[in-house]
Amino acid sequence: MADAIAVKGVRAAQAAPPPPAPRRLRNGFAPAVPGLAFLLLCFMLPVLALLLRSLTQPQWGLQNYAALLATSTYANVLFNTFAVAGLVTGISALLGLPLAWFLAVAPRFWSQLVFGIVILSMWTNLLARTYAWMVLLQDTGIINNFLIWTGIIQNPLPLFGTMAGVVIGMVYIMLPFMVLSLRGPLAALDASLFQAASLCGASRVQAFTQVFLPLLAPGLAAGGLIIFVMSLGYYITPSLLGGAQDMMLAELIAQLVQTLLNWGLAGAASFLLLVLTLSLYAVQIRYFSPRRGKEG
Amino acid sequence: MLMDFARLGWMRWLLCATAGACTLFLLAPLVLLIALSFDSSPWLQFPPPGWTLQWYAQVFHDPDWLASFITSLEVGSCVTVLSVLLGLLCGFAITRGQFRGREILRGFFLTPMILPSIVLGIALYSAFLWLHIAGSFAGFVIAHLVLALPFSVVAITGALEQTDKSLEDAAMLCGAGLWEARVRVILPAIRHGLFGAALFSFLTSWDEVVVAIFMASPTLQTLPVRMLGELRQDLSPDIAVVSSLLVLATALLMGLAALFQKESAR
Amino acid sequence: MRRVLGLGVLMALGTALSAHAQNSMVFTSWGGTTQDAQKKDWAVPFTAKTGIAVVQDGPTDYGKFKAMVQSGNVSWDVVDVEYDFAVRAAQDGLLTPLTLTPAETASIDPRFLTPDAAGSFYYSFVIGYRTNAFHGAQPKTLQDLFDIKKFPGKRCFYKWSAAGVLEAALLADGVAPDKLYPLDLNRAFRKLDTIKKDIVWWGTGAQSQQLLASGQAPIGLVWNGRVQALEQEGAPVAMSWDQNLTTGDMLVIPKGAPDTAAAQKFIAFATSAGPQAQFATDTGYAPINKGSLPLLDKAAYAALPDAHAATHIDLNMQYWAAHRDEIAARWYAWQTQ
Repeated sequence: MADAIAVKGVRAAQAAPPPPAPRRLRNGFAPAVPGLAFLLLCFMLPVLALLLRSLTQPQWGLQNYAALLATSTYANVLFNTFAVAGLVTGISALLGLPLAWFLAVAPRFWSQLVFGIVILSMWTNLLARTYAWMVLLQDTGIINNFLIWTGIIQNPLPLFGTMAGVVIGMVYIMLPFMVLSLRGPLAALDASLFQAASLCGASRVQAFTQVFLPLLAPGLAAGGLIIFVMSLGYYITPSLLGGAQDMMLAELIAQLVQTLLNWGLAGAASFLLLVLTLSLYAVQIRYFSPRRGKEG
Repeated sequence: MLMDFARLGWMRWLLCATAGACTLFLLAPLVLLIALSFDSSPWLQFPPPGWTLQWYAQVFHDPDWLASFITSLEVGSCVTVLSVLLGLLCGFAITRGQFRGREILRGFFLTPMILPSIVLGIALYSAFLWLHIAGSFAGFVIAHLVLALPFSVVAITGALEQTDKSLEDAAMLCGAGLWEARVRVILPAIRHGLFGAALFSFLTSWDEVVVAIFMASPTLQTLPVRMLGELRQDLSPDIAVVSSLLVLATALLMGLAALFQKESAR
Repeated sequence: MRRVLGLGVLMALGTALSAHAQNSMVFTSWGGTTQDAQKKDWAVPFTAKTGIAVVQDGPTDYGKFKAMVQSGNVSWDVVDVEYDFAVRAAQDGLLTPLTLTPAETASIDPRFLTPDAAGSFYYSFVIGYRTNAFHGAQPKTLQDLFDIKKFPGKRCFYKWSAAGVLEAALLADGVAPDKLYPLDLNRAFRKLDTIKKDIVWWGTGAQSQQLLASGQAPIGLVWNGRVQALEQEGAPVAMSWDQNLTTGDMLVIPKGAPDTAAAQKFIAFATSAGPQAQFATDTGYAPINKGSLPLLDKAAYAALPDAHAATHIDLNMQYWAAHRDEIAARWYAWQTQ
């Protein structure tokens, strides 16, 4: 039924001259109101109240920000955080694209089976998954034992307690998010496009880089954004799989909040993270957004 | 050619190899967890020194696991429904609106994701204490909704951007009202996005532990809260058992769904 | 939405009522088997004796603790916390002073009693190692723990800034036990630098057990109860009590707790000789009541830090509470370098 309306509509739209803008709500802002109000009341207000403490505790002033910048800790941790988030996003995209593509084109049985495994992995408790990786990654763990047994390596790879371990464990968690973000765009791809490309003499590689990738770019961007931003605030996986040198910001902040009870400093650290991430986001929109210029 | 499995040529092998490797990668920890749930050593050692069912017996004898499973399910379902609804409305505003600052609005909806959840936990908890809803079901749902909404907004916005706005316009030309057009034409077109939004929302709540610790009360313990307590104190294979059971239940559900689809396709 | 909210408010009221109906109090601890034992050995007999029901909550979270007290809307009556938090919280005015009788006070080990907190149990940092990891001599002293030539391999240490690791480094470097405080941080970090690349960090007790059991770290500075549990399960591990560093968990009453009277009674009961002895037997954590030791059977006693009192070194929690922030700043700067 819906499709019928759509088809009829498309035909009508093709036949008729561009219609006067259909009657719509003033400027379309209204639907955002409930969500916006919810976030303002239940998120912004309480969080701002807490972040304000970075200016008021123990007394008024910028002492918390000065304390953050006084040692190299914050800079190091911030660097770790962005490095891990970047690596995790990149690797998830590299693996997620072929995986999602496989799901879209493979024979039904295989595609359903693999999709089932993707969903299963998401359903398993985060803590349990991370513990499983702990067992897999250790020097005496399954991966190293296997590699040594096959003779590929002599000494165990330093996977556990390193940034490599953190990235592996986090890619594991993030990969399904990329796959799911790409499913929609892939389903929307029109197979005839590629027939056309092939008729025009494009090679597979050309079709991939010039038609396929650009069409999937919004999906990749959406998935990448989710993964990158989620990774920035991650805490349990890095703290179980990483070493102290690879500490991420959320771990440090958790220590400040829960153990040291230094909420002023925690507020300052979070505020800087927020500002930094949002400005990166602004830069991304300003210069890289594929949507830019599409609409007013 | 690229969307036709039979005509992928050499890319097909590359694709199958990558997908196979990814599947192994995704499967390995699950298989390991199931193996560990029968491990006679409580220290998650592999290969196990022996096999046992004692951890299963332990979990089945503890009614608290079931109670927290149900709590998790209840919180997660409420969060999912609200998150998809709000996300859908926001998505329409962001993708179809004509007002300035739509990108700013989009950025705003992402902020709960950026903020380390421990900060959100303490901030919300302080506010809830003041409102006297700390430790309540509503508080729990609100907190997880804050965390879930960004996922829903991103997934739905992405899907809406993929669908052509002229679809709506066309439907309206045919006499449908704005929201009728949206519900009957757009919703089916973005079903993947809606599915993603619902799944992300549910999982956000289902797996969340940092904020959940603040929202928990003696009568309101979600699975991850209970698991964290167990894990911090004793690395007990209970958690492997619970996870294995969940994997099994999910696999069964998905198998059933696939079977039903086949039946109805016939 | 409104319905959900309504339902939630009802449930909140229900929770509040059920948790603090007449003759009921809330006890919060860390979860797992420890809390199971606290429930069995303290809460259940306490209820039987006084008629006051004890609702279990947890895990303990200091952020939650502080937020509760600051809002004046407290839902916990007795909380199991770490020693240095107890001292710090008292300084910050987050606690209700205890009202133990002189007899009760006299029976408690003075190391684990402050005006605002009474011990819950105590334990030691010991050197835990795998018995099959080193040929010849087995590690015994803290010097051995820091000697990567004689005892090669990763060693595990507690990850967070807390009493224990810095003291061990100083002792290994030759500082006399009575000259530990104030801590010479420069010297401690220099000593830790010599093994930094061989350290794996554990964040929870369970994790330290996993590291030892799997052999990822054949040696480490860990809690005695953790090694003992591994031994009992048949893992090839042993521990050295040489210069073991003691610290404890404390029971405290948050300021503004809903039922302070019941809370005071509960603490007096939990810290008394019988319940402490029972708890020590069940968990391997040491009792803080001096009258508990005669109540223990020989095997249980042998496993406790009390059997190694001669080599105890007490960690100074007053010092840690006073210097926590500055040490933490140094600690994390060093760790992330």
